[in-house]
Amino acid sequence: MFRLDSLALVSMGSFVILWAISVAAAPRRDREQSGLWELICLLAGTLMAYAAADIYMFLAGWLLTVWPYRRGDQLRPRLALAAATVPLAVGAALLTTPEYSSIAFGAFVLAILLRKGIFPLHFWTLDAFEHLRLPALALLLNSHLGGYLLIRFVIPAFPALAAEWLPVVSWLALSTSVLMAVAGLAEAQPRRILGLLWLSQGSFVLAGLATKTQEGITGALIHWWVVAFAMTGLISVYRSLEARTSSIRSRSGFQGLGAHAPRLAVFFGVCGFALVGLPGTLGFVAEDLLFHGALKAHPLLGVALPLATALNAITMLRLFVTLFMGRRAIHVPKIPDALPAERIAFTAVVVLLVFGGLAPALLIALRDPSAVALARLLSGQ
Amino acid sequence: MMEALLMAIVAIPGVTFLALSLMWLVGWAPPERFVARLTSAGFVLITMGVALLTWLMLASGTVSVRVPLGKWFHAGDYQFPLAMLADRLSLPLVAMTAVLGGIAGSFSVRYVHRDRGFFQFFLLLNLFTFGALTAFTAGSIDLLIGGWEIVGVTSVLLIAFFGERPEPARNAVRVFANYRIADIGLLLASFVLHHGGSTLFTPLLPGEWPEQTSRLSGPEVMAAGFLLLIAASGKSSQGPFAGWLPRAMEGPTPSSSIFYGAVSIHLGAYLLLRFEPVIQAAPAVAMTTTAVGLLTALMATVANRVATDVKTSLAFASMTQLGLIFAEIGLGFPRLALFHILGHAVLRTFQLLRAPSMLHDHHKMHAAAGGELGQTGALLNGLPAGLRLWLYRFGLERGYFDAWIERLVVIPVLWLARVIGWTPFGTGQKA
Repeated sequence: MFRLDSLALVSMGSFVILWAISVAAAPRRDREQSGLWELICLLAGTLMAYAAADIYMFLAGWLLTVWPYRRGDQLRPRLALAAATVPLAVGAALLTTPEYSSIAFGAFVLAILLRKGIFPLHFWTLDAFEHLRLPALALLLNSHLGGYLLIRFVIPAFPALAAEWLPVVSWLALSTSVLMAVAGLAEAQPRRILGLLWLSQGSFVLAGLATKTQEGITGALIHWWVVAFAMTGLISVYRSLEARTSSIRSRSGFQGLGAHAPRLAVFFGVCGFALVGLPGTLGFVAEDLLFHGALKAHPLLGVALPLATALNAITMLRLFVTLFMGRRAIHVPKIPDALPAERIAFTAVVVLLVFGGLAPALLIALRDPSAVALARLLSGQ
Repeated sequence: MMEALLMAIVAIPGVTFLALSLMWLVGWAPPERFVARLTSAGFVLITMGVALLTWLMLASGTVSVRVPLGKWFHAGDYQFPLAMLADRLSLPLVAMTAVLGGIAGSFSVRYVHRDRGFFQFFLLLNLFTFGALTAFTAGSIDLLIGGWEIVGVTSVLLIAFFGERPEPARNAVRVFANYRIADIGLLLASFVLHHGGSTLFTPLLPGEWPEQTSRLSGPEVMAAGFLLLIAASGKSSQGPFAGWLPRAMEGPTPSSSIFYGAVSIHLGAYLLLRFEPVIQAAPAVAMTTTAVGLLTALMATVANRVATDVKTSLAFASMTQLGLIFAEIGLGFPRLALFHILGHAVLRTFQLLRAPSMLHDHHKMHAAAGGELGQTGALLNGLPAGLRLWLYRFGLERGYFDAWIERLVVIPVLWLARVIGWTPFGTGQKA
């Protein structure tokens, strides 16, 4: 029923930390009543999926993570999350039937593309970012269950098909990464910018897995953590600001909040720079490995990923200066800087990203066995 | 002894930055005097360390100190090697960073006194020094990229120092965009070098600077050379990246002096000097380097003559000298280029630090000359009126570089971004 190997334990451990950080940093209104229910479902479902030894247990965990979203006003996120479950169930039913292996593989890939918001099935994610509760959404997306499904079940079950078709997935991921990075340059709403950053940077994980090289796969698995922690940090800081002054959602131009909340500005900046690979952070390590793996796999892939990162970095800095710079906002009353619980949570994110960047060998060692196994499977050894 | 000294020189500003960050993070905002003294002590120690290292090297007849630090990380057959190098190229630049950084820091104690960003300024100054020293003493391109990026980020954050005004914030984003696009060249060059055998300078460029040779051959030399030129042009505001330097003058004057008069602006030239054997091994790259440098120098010297404020004028003057340094490197005069860098850095730092007092200085000079200061620009009077007018407009428009970049890159990219939003499979953007 459960399979607690290094991949599962490392993923479970990092998700529990991520969950604790999100809950500690979430405004009270996001962790009361239905918000709390969402957070508990996400924790239970994700841990169940990570620990699953068979596909049905994984499906149960997956279902639990999307269960809170079965109702609500937002049609596109609800539909996409429900729709992603259908091909997953089809794939699970056909997994052990060799004559339907192509259909099962295709169904799994469809589920992965939907869940990860890969182009052209990314349409729901920005709606979700714009309207859903951000702390729970950050956990839902940063659990990367689509990627986990690929690593844990799809590649081991269909190594030949995966080796043949992963390049297609990789090109779709690459398209997502570049298109969303370009779209981010003209976006004005902070929530949607965060969504575009997640889509673009998050798709690197699939692109890296498809390089079939050990450094590319290790880079993808490390980048998984970078996106999870850095995006959680960015989303949580933004949500903290939003809870203090809701006008930032609609107001255009410079918000000038840095003068009110300098610590939140610093946390936001560090998480943002880690996301786009600033040296001294884990993001730099992940992207160094990813770029080298990608260039080895295909020159165009290796050029497109740094380009997408560069564009995302520009968008990130634009969001940073929009939120924190400009004249001190006179319409904003005196708002508190990072509160004690927030400070602890954000410090934990920063420590993880910076410590991981200064001493990455330990984290790479945690991911290395999985990367070696995947590279072997994909190269047919 | 020399190896430990080299590591200590680089570590001092990094440790100071970390100590100050932790103090702030736990809620203690140190007083100005404490921050200033801690930073001053750091720069004094770095300067003494550089002097001692130079003396030890001269006394023992050592040409270069190479410190292999093993692998930072590895995956499969890919590894990120760490190595440090102090030789006839890097040591003068380390000394320049220590001395000029210390002077700019000392000047800043008064310049940003009681400013709300006093602490932030010194925090970034220490981080910048750490990045610059890391880049100059890197023994592999991987480590050089690390220092290079830190210098870029601190530079951008200091441009946005007076962030209450919208222009510094906007210009910071613009400069950051230039840096990030140009840095793609450096990332790709590191891959080419990795593919060519090693990213460590010792096996890649055997011998001692400036008599090194290149182990790269064939198309790799050409590819690496052009990619390095793109990265260097971005950092030193040359060629298509010439538009950002005047925008960077929004930052505080002391940071402008150390970044755009002394260290950061010369980092691109340093990159080319470090890989000079690669540049010279590919004649097309050498010729392009010379052409880019000369064209930028011509444009900048015209723009300099019509600039209406002193910092913009100095920015174009810096760009002119950097253009000439690029040309010297392209033409194969690395020693001349190194001396040019050092001389230019000292003069420009002095000019930028004196920029706020320019009118006062001018009045003093005017009085000392008995009210008879000679007119400048008389040489141009010999040109036809139409050409003079064209040159005037060319200078005012800053060589049309910004306008062309806006027309050919910025507008099409933003249009594409909006189109992505409108398409059925797009992002549903309402822009």
